[in-house]
Amino acid sequence: MWQYVVRKLLWNIPVYLGILLVVMVALRVNDPVWARLGKNATQEQYEQTKEDLGLHESFLRQYGRLLNGFDLDRYSWDKHGRTVRQELSQAVWPSLAIAGPALVLTTLVALLTALLAAFRRGRPLDRWLMAGAVVGMSISYVVYVILGQYFGAYKLNEWVGREIFAIQGYDRSQPLWWVQYCLLPVLINAALAVGYDARFYRAVIVEESTRDHVRTARAKGLSERRVWLKHVLRNAMISVITHVMITLPFLVAGQIVIEVYFGIPGMGSTLITAILGKDFPIVQGFTAVFAALFIVTNIATDVLYAVVDPRVRLQ
Amino acid sequence: MLFSRAVRKFRKSRLAVISAIGILAYLAIGIGIFLGLVTREDAFECVGPNHVPGFGAAQKPEKRFDDVDFELGLFERALKRGDKEEALAEIRLGRRRVADVPVEELEKRLDAAFEIFDELDVSRDLNREPQLWPKLGELEAAAARLWQPLEGRDAFSQRVKLAFGTDRQGRSILLRSVYAVKIALQIGIIVGVASVIVGTLLGAAAAYYGGWVDHLVQWLYSTLSSVPYLVLLSVLVFMFQGSAVEQSLVPLYAAFGLTFWIGPCRVVRGEVLRIKQLDYVQAATALGQRRSLILLKHVIPNVSHVMLVQFSLLFISAIKAEVVLTFLGLGVKDEPSWGIMISQAKQEVVNGFFWQIGAATAVMFLLVLAFNIFTDALQDALDPKHIA
Repeated sequence: MWQYVVRKLLWNIPVYLGILLVVMVALRVNDPVWARLGKNATQEQYEQTKEDLGLHESFLRQYGRLLNGFDLDRYSWDKHGRTVRQELSQAVWPSLAIAGPALVLTTLVALLTALLAAFRRGRPLDRWLMAGAVVGMSISYVVYVILGQYFGAYKLNEWVGREIFAIQGYDRSQPLWWVQYCLLPVLINAALAVGYDARFYRAVIVEESTRDHVRTARAKGLSERRVWLKHVLRNAMISVITHVMITLPFLVAGQIVIEVYFGIPGMGSTLITAILGKDFPIVQGFTAVFAALFIVTNIATDVLYAVVDPRVRLQ
Repeated sequence: MLFSRAVRKFRKSRLAVISAIGILAYLAIGIGIFLGLVTREDAFECVGPNHVPGFGAAQKPEKRFDDVDFELGLFERALKRGDKEEALAEIRLGRRRVADVPVEELEKRLDAAFEIFDELDVSRDLNREPQLWPKLGELEAAAARLWQPLEGRDAFSQRVKLAFGTDRQGRSILLRSVYAVKIALQIGIIVGVASVIVGTLLGAAAAYYGGWVDHLVQWLYSTLSSVPYLVLLSVLVFMFQGSAVEQSLVPLYAAFGLTFWIGPCRVVRGEVLRIKQLDYVQAATALGQRRSLILLKHVIPNVSHVMLVQFSLLFISAIKAEVVLTFLGLGVKDEPSWGIMISQAKQEVVNGFFWQIGAATAVMFLLVLAFNIFTDALQDALDPKHIA
């Protein structure tokens, strides 16, 4: 077991080195200083900015600095006097306030839908649920967000006569701020993720339910309830858990559209604002942190997988 | 034949056949546009006042008043110019042209229209004053006399152009959403084909040769997939900001191309790991065939079903990702794409105008739905392990 963990850790070192290299190169292909300053900048301004960013140093030195702490203490370009670290620690919480509840809600609803469908496999209920999932998946993500805001915030508020969900923004000083600012994004997010997850979970559960050991369990006269709970669901949970684990890093970054549209100052919207504003320090720092988060969860997923399924260790 | 059994299985599913026909229809539209059925100019041409609803749906009086105001403004500006005749000849809204009468007559008609216009006080809220509505009808009739009446094909063409209404610049929503089919197919096919070819070659080589090739390929895809995909796409688009190709579709192709090959590469690698153990590959090896030839002639053809399924998965992802990236301001800039239309519709929805978002979503929905069903059926037919 430990051997497996160590092997995984070792394998991820070059991956980490590689991704930071890719990020660095991608951000430097097109000189970030000129991109920011525009063509009318003087040579002095150029040199000055370059030094502020630490871009005058050799590539290897910059690489070393990025590896050693993501270069987080650099100052953001747009937000004067704030470092990347400050921006990051400020942006994490709004992201989590939406992503966390959304993940829980999505997983619960998707699992329930999948169970219902798998339990009634091939019958009308299953067909309707899965047809609904395919239809839902075929509409663009962005449309859900736009219409969700229109009907969930504008129309609902108009109809009720007072503000239930805020149309945009994020303000923690309000009482019930979470309901006001975060609940609607969470609901929209869950609504559009359920289709994908339910299909996946259903496939997993159906596959488990056709296994030999399930037939044996039935043959020896176990009750249907016991067969499903103990023999099907328990095995299916392995895939469910890994699926949830894999989506963890996307939690922080995957809400980009929702954060941008609802004006929530999370990590996704901070990154997009930085990209559009060519705020180089933020783009580089955030991407590097995303990569690190991703790799950590990847390792955790692999290890968890090996714990629940001993066969994995042998590969 | 390699696929004959799969084709038979595929054809048994009625939904699958319908979806395949749907995809072919879209493809035909795409080819038609490519050949000039709807040109880029058509998609940018102003065909009427802004935000006209589709199917000639009724509008609020205030909006009707604004529309007449817009039309009269066109004539007023033209008649103020020195070369009246020329300026008038330039006025066009889709197929509509200035009435074929002498300039003096036209000026008279315009004055008549303005007389009614002035009677309807601009500051009043027409929506609330039904007694003014007949007057509004008169104004519209007066404004209509400035235009040459449309007949036959022109009238039909104009109706088609206004079928789904117009966007905020008075451009035909129908033509734009149809022209976007070409953009979407272009993105989907180029990205899908390129990614599947690159992914298959790398994945097959990694699995077949093993050793350092395998390690290298695995490292490459682990690396590129260790940043959330939307973040990586954004960074890659950032790469092109301020460069010569920024306005074109090239940044989009590059960003998709660099990330999308990972899926097919993984699946093909897994499949080839299995295939290379099979007897016929061993036999080919024993016969002394070159390894690269075995890979190309015996191994890769046997993953073609995987390639097909992966292509259709990527096609859908590319089309959907275009919309998301464009929405974030990082994707298509200057072409009429569904992403552009949906992004523009943000403000319209707030004002209760759903034609643009509705048309773009509907046209896109049908294609993506057809492809989703098609992919499922394809997997059913080709992959015995796939769960339907």
